Amino acid sequence: MAKKFALTVHQNTQEDGDSLMALIQRCTLSLIFILFFGIICFAGNSEIRIADPSGDWGFPTPYRHYPRGPGYIRMSMVFDTLIWKDTTGVIPALAESWSYEPETLSYLFTLRQGVKWHDGRPLTPADVIFTFQYLKEHPYNFVRLDSVSGCEIAGEHQVRVKLHEPYAPFLAYMATMPILPEHVWNKVKDPKKYVQPDSFIGTGPYTFVDFNKVKGTYLFEAFADYYQGRPKIDRLIYIKADDPLLALLTGKADLAEIEPNMVKILEKKGMTILRNQRGWNKKLMINHTKEPFSNKEFRHALAYAINRQEIIDKAHQGHGTVASDGLLSPDHEFYNPKTPSYEYNPAKARKILTSLGYIQGKDGFFAKDGKPLHVRLLASTVTTTDRDGEIIRHQLEQVGIAVDLQMQEKTAADTQIKAWDFDLAVSGHGGLLGDTVMLNRMISPKSGSVNSARYGGSKKLLGLLKEQLRTMDKEKRRRILAEIQKIYAEELPSLSLYYPESTAAYNPKKGISWYFTPGGIGTGIPLCQNKAALLR
Amino acid sequence: MMLSSRRFTKKRISLLLAYSLSALLMIWLSYLLPSLLPGDFVTAMYSTSEDVTLTAAQESELRAYYSQDTGFSEYLLKLIRLDWGNSYAFLTPVSELFFEALPWTLLLLVSANILAALTGFIAGVEAAFRRNSRFERSLVSCGTVLEGLPEICTGVILLAVFSLYLGWFPAAGAETAYAELSFQAWLLDVGHHLTLPLASLVIAYFPGNFLLTRTSMIMVISQPYIKTAQAKGLSGLRIRYAHAARNALLPLVTRFGLRLAFTVTGAFVVERIHAYPGLGTLLFNAIRLRDLPVIQAIVLISSIMVLAMIMVLELVYAYLDPRVQDAYQR
Amino acid sequence: MHINAKKKMLRDPWLLTGGILFFFFATASIFGSAICPHDPSAMEFTPLSSPCAVHPLGVNDCGQDIFAGLICAVRNTVLFGLTCAAVSLCIGVLIGLTAGWFGGIIDMLFMRLADVLLAVPAIMVLILISALFQPPPLTLAVILALLIWPTISKAIRAQTLIVRESPHVRAAVQMGAGNSYIIFRHLLPELFPLYLIGFSGKCRMAMFMEASLAFMGLIDPGRKSLGMMIHYALKYYYLDIWWNWLLPPVLCLSLLIMTVTFIVISLEKMLDPRLRENFGESSA
Repeated sequence: MAKKFALTVHQNTQEDGDSLMALIQRCTLSLIFILFFGIICFAGNSEIRIADPSGDWGFPTPYRHYPRGPGYIRMSMVFDTLIWKDTTGVIPALAESWSYEPETLSYLFTLRQGVKWHDGRPLTPADVIFTFQYLKEHPYNFVRLDSVSGCEIAGEHQVRVKLHEPYAPFLAYMATMPILPEHVWNKVKDPKKYVQPDSFIGTGPYTFVDFNKVKGTYLFEAFADYYQGRPKIDRLIYIKADDPLLALLTGKADLAEIEPNMVKILEKKGMTILRNQRGWNKKLMINHTKEPFSNKEFRHALAYAINRQEIIDKAHQGHGTVASDGLLSPDHEFYNPKTPSYEYNPAKARKILTSLGYIQGKDGFFAKDGKPLHVRLLASTVTTTDRDGEIIRHQLEQVGIAVDLQMQEKTAADTQIKAWDFDLAVSGHGGLLGDTVMLNRMISPKSGSVNSARYGGSKKLLGLLKEQLRTMDKEKRRRILAEIQKIYAEELPSLSLYYPESTAAYNPKKGISWYFTPGGIGTGIPLCQNKAALLR
Repeated sequence: MMLSSRRFTKKRISLLLAYSLSALLMIWLSYLLPSLLPGDFVTAMYSTSEDVTLTAAQESELRAYYSQDTGFSEYLLKLIRLDWGNSYAFLTPVSELFFEALPWTLLLLVSANILAALTGFIAGVEAAFRRNSRFERSLVSCGTVLEGLPEICTGVILLAVFSLYLGWFPAAGAETAYAELSFQAWLLDVGHHLTLPLASLVIAYFPGNFLLTRTSMIMVISQPYIKTAQAKGLSGLRIRYAHAARNALLPLVTRFGLRLAFTVTGAFVVERIHAYPGLGTLLFNAIRLRDLPVIQAIVLISSIMVLAMIMVLELVYAYLDPRVQDAYQR
Repeated sequence: MHINAKKKMLRDPWLLTGGILFFFFATASIFGSAICPHDPSAMEFTPLSSPCAVHPLGVNDCGQDIFAGLICAVRNTVLFGLTCAAVSLCIGVLIGLTAGWFGGIIDMLFMRLADVLLAVPAIMVLILISALFQPPPLTLAVILALLIWPTISKAIRAQTLIVRESPHVRAAVQMGAGNSYIIFRHLLPELFPLYLIGFSGKCRMAMFMEASLAFMGLIDPGRKSLGMMIHYALKYYYLDIWWNWLLPPVLCLSLLIMTVTFIVISLEKMLDPRLRENFGESSA
């Protein structure tokens, strides 16, 4: 009886001899099936339904989608880029080939011929030039074009893009930048406000049909004249579903991001499971602008005091790996395996605290000059409530640091972090697999992101960060990045805790083999909804 | 006679005046409270994105772009012109969003309230007339147990059993998205999706209605006129529903009215669990994104609805029970 | 006759069940920590293990003993519910009586204030408050009470208007009794049955609200409460945790609310004259 509701035993009903129940169930199921699904007229269209817990990610146009991965992915179905990424790395898209000319500091893109916009007009090099100019004038947040000094038509189907200085992340941005039709956007003064039928004209494999703001659903239809051939699936639908497991098992969705705990159940039901590389880290933000956290030694003590494996085991049932202290993921090509690390060592943490003048009182808590060491740990409902904050509090108190854990709504917490109004804060971000320009965003003191360490304490680190962007030679860049990771780990402006397991599941019967793109889509979006999987 | 009717009118006017004042206060609160929320749209939208990081200059530019706050008097004037402003997230009029979400909320809440009120009322009347029977006892215990079950639990239990284990009902949404159905099939589809959230709400509302009706019925039954009616040999149904129940209806009507008034926020939890579209979800998302014009509009509409319902109920009461009238005459 | 009725009342099944449940929960709350072998907040066991001799209800997702957590949660939830109900009852009764007795402008002011409070979406206010002040749970209970008193005071006021006109109150007024004398000596005791209904309703509401707040992540997740337990258990609904993790807190919540309801039902019968008459009849 106890197992009746648990899925794992669902198939055992017959074995249990509970055949009447099974019979009733089967009859009702088929009845329901006939009643409801039978009526849904199959027009012979193949379709894929993708479940998303929050649904609404803005209109799928460059200037109106939300500045997050899922928003970009929806837009990318409609707008193609010059180059794209799949499992093999960078692949041609609108540009069939490209080359770097170091002497003129420029990239030469040869465009594919016969590419059509969704309204039937041909794509011309002028559209590409226009896109560069328009994006410089009206910045599109996913792409930085500061390094571009100009661009020109170089031949009948060629475009040359000139740079001010060598800029290593340029190609990553080219794999992100949607190409816009000049004939639509040249008259648009304020692209943020422009939502008209023609603002959805792109060169992508899918045309935009509908977005329901209240239901959070999207409908895309295959573009028959797509230059790489009509995509395999006729209708691409995004639905809102809070629970990926239910959505997948009830056939409401064919693809969804799932919790690692759901893997076993879904595997049994014939779903294919995808596991991503480690591209997202849970992070402990440290307010290094105030005492005592401004002291590097103190930050080290914190790192020693936190048992990260225990957080993974306790709060995530072991689904995750301890993070590298150099911020870059161990799965990244530029990862430095020699990055210093802080293995859990409470004795060492206490020793450091003592050397900093703290005295452990009778109650076990540290104090300095009679003032107890008391830190405020801010935690927010990042995705769902988790136990990380609780466990960190527990661990710090074991070492002798009194912790006041405060749980807050996400934006409220972010506002405080932004204003440096915290001691410690549990936070997290992704992008760890993409181009290492991410390190600049996540370390630089000028960064506006609340997940960024915003650390200017090491001039050397800032210099190296600037240099890595200018270094076109891969091996040289690797050496600089190794140094960056080492210094970051020594300075420890914030502490990467762990990489949670990132999993997705899809229904293989739909004929699409989804995959996680190595290095992430675009500049590093860790989602498996790569449009290249939908092409023939 | 003349005097009393004039008094009555005067009383009504003063009541109306009081309500308009509290409505004004409510408009001010609906304008003020959302803006007190820590953080703003730009922070909520941009500051945690890993793909987009803004510089301080870009951020302040965006803030200026999105700021529509021009003070309370301007807000009031705009309201009078029925202009609710534009949503920050979509830059489309708030009214458009509101009226897109409203039908789903109404469908769910109104049908749940009517169903729960009807079943609760009938069950309550029948139980009261069968006091101490096994029927009454089991219904009362049933109602009490259900009363102790939070909506969250009923919602998830229904989902797990009927959606996950039995697979009878869909787990999310209000209709199969983009299914291209004929009208009848679409109706069936909407009903199919409505069943579970509706059931969660009816289960949540039924016990209260049932227990309330039962208690007020028990009080009514002991009145002499019911005994008279029984003595006259009137049929059971007629006594129950035409004589007794009519007098026990008032508390239930009050409850029904207030429940309806709380339409917007009433289904918040159930909408979340069943991923059902509606005003609750819209409000939740708007709070998450700090989309102030949307929050203001929804808070305003929902609170004005409650105020209006309270006023109507008060007028109805004053009409039905003369003793209540005296309150304002002193 | 009178004594007889009293005896019968004591044999009333509602009161009996309610009393037993009450006794059960009171013991569990007071002596719970003595019975329970584990620290409810210690995360030192194998997560998600099934019930065994050491852990009668198994272990939750982060390695805490569920049984220990349950006992702690019952105590916290009871405390939360009672605090909130008591505070809102006090405010509601005081305002309801004052408004009903004095009438006029006072009545108007209090009742419109009550309307506005009823009309403001409580969720908005709670998000605001928890974000701005991070109140400890019991303060949150009091804040919640400040938001939910209007329904009580409206009921009390309506009844006060009726009682005010009754002969004995009029007589007291004519004999020159002061306002406070009449309010505290006549009105306050007379409306007793209404307090019970209000109290049980608010108790239930507070306990549910706690669950909903937990559901939306607005309460300190480290604090054990039935709502928080349900919230966490629901996250793993697809695993085999229904009977040992989800059911116990749900059952406890239901039983708690039943306890309050049962006691109120039977007390109501004793105190409300109309129901009493009926009660005597039915148990005869």
